[in-house]
Amino acid sequence: MLTMFPAEGVEELVRTGGSCRVAVEMPCGFKPGDRVRAVNINPVTHTRLPQYVRGKCGVVVEDRGVFVFPDTNSLLKGEKPQHVYSVVFTAADLWGPDANPKDSLYIDLWEDYIVAAE
Amino acid sequence: MNGIADLGGRHGMGPIKFEENEPIFHAEWERRMFAMFILAFAGGHFNIDQFRYGMEQMAPAEYLTSDYYQHWMHSLEIWCRANGTFAEGEVERRMAELAKEAA
Amino acid sequence: MTTDHDHHHDHSHRSTDVSLRVKAIESLLVEKKLLDVEAVDKLIDLYEHKIGPRNGARVVAKAWTDPEYKARLLKDGTSAIAELGYSGVQGEDMVVLENTPDVHNMVVCTLCSCYPWPTLGLPPNWYKAAPYRSRAVIDPRGVLEEFGTAISSDVEVRVWDSNAELRYLVLPMRPAGTEGMSEEQLVELVTRDSMIGVGFPVQP
Repeated sequence: MLTMFPAEGVEELVRTGGSCRVAVEMPCGFKPGDRVRAVNINPVTHTRLPQYVRGKCGVVVEDRGVFVFPDTNSLLKGEKPQHVYSVVFTAADLWGPDANPKDSLYIDLWEDYIVAAE
Repeated sequence: MNGIADLGGRHGMGPIKFEENEPIFHAEWERRMFAMFILAFAGGHFNIDQFRYGMEQMAPAEYLTSDYYQHWMHSLEIWCRANGTFAEGEVERRMAELAKEAA
Repeated sequence: MTTDHDHHHDHSHRSTDVSLRVKAIESLLVEKKLLDVEAVDKLIDLYEHKIGPRNGARVVAKAWTDPEYKARLLKDGTSAIAELGYSGVQGEDMVVLENTPDVHNMVVCTLCSCYPWPTLGLPPNWYKAAPYRSRAVIDPRGVLEEFGTAISSDVEVRVWDSNAELRYLVLPMRPAGTEGMSEEQLVELVTRDSMIGVGFPVQP
C-alpha cells in the first residue's frame, strides 16, 4: 500500500518512530548464561548475522524480547517474530590467539541465528 | 548475503577519515535524499529490512566509493522500480529533461 | 594516482550527477503524488536543527547528578530517555552501556549505519564508512588510538555491534574534579564521541 506521507504527520512520526518489537509471546530457547553457537548460514538474501560471527561460540547476556525477523521480512515472507538475545563473544574466539584477551564483542542474535553449544 | 556491506573484520579499508566541523548534510541533495527515504518508508513503499537489503545489492566498488546517501538512493530506486512506481529508464528520462531545462 | 585537483574535479562532477538524479527522483515522486514536499522540508528541519547530541548529553548529565535516574536509565533505557522527551525513530529500543574504570564500551554498526538518532542526531560520515565499520570489531584499540583516545591495558574493551533494532548509547564516566558543577554545566562536557564510545567527555 503506497501512500504519500503527509506533512502533518511528520512530528508524530519522528517522535513515535516504528519499533520492530512484536507484542506476542514466543518460545524462549535461551537464557542469560547459556553457551550458544552462531549458525553457519550463508543466505544469498538479507540477513543480519554477519560472517565474522558465524560458527563461533558465545554466551547469552540478555534476552531483549521479541522482534520481527529481518531474513523473512525483507522478502515479504512474514514477520516470523522471535526472541533476540545479546550474546558476547571473546575477541580471542572471534579473531584468534593474537586478539587482546581483555576484549569482547556483543551482538544481537535472533533465535534462528543460534543453537546450544555442544 | 555475503556482500560488501558485511564489513566486520575486513582489512585494507584504510584509515578513518575525519572531517573537521562536519555538517549534518554536505549538500542539498543529501537533505532531500534523507527525507525522501524516511517518507517513502513511512508511506509504506518498503519495510526497513527491504530497505537495508536494497543497499546491500549495490555493486561493491560503487558501495565503497560513493557518498553515503547514494546508498539510500540506490535502495529507494530498487524498490520504486519493484513496486512499479518508476518504469525502467524513467529516472534517466527525467534527468535529461531537467538538464535540458537548466541549460 | 590522482592529484588533489583531479579528485576534487571527479568528486564535484559526480556530485552534479547525483544531485540531478535526486532532483529527478523527487520530481517524479511528487508528480505521482507519492511525496509531500512540505513533509520533506519539515523532516530536514527537524534533523538539521532540532535533534542532535545535545539530547544525549542531557541524559548523561542527569545520570551523573541523579543516582536514581541513572539506575532507571541502566534498567530501561527507552523509558528513562523518554522521561526527558527524547524518543522515536531509530531510538525505539534503547540500551544504555555504562563505562567504568574497568570497562570501556564502544558502539558500531558493521552492516550499515544504525545509530540512536533521538539522542545523538544523525551519525557522522566516519561512523557509516568502511574503515570504522570494518575495524571497530577486530581492532577496537587501534581505532581508539586513531581517535586519540588512550585506553589502559587493564581496561576491558566491549564492542557492541548494533545489528538488530536495539540502539546503544554509552554512558561515559563523569570527569574528575566536576563535583561542584551543575547539571547544565555538565551537559557542556559530554561529547558526541564519548556517547559512541570513541572518546571521553571533556576534562575541565
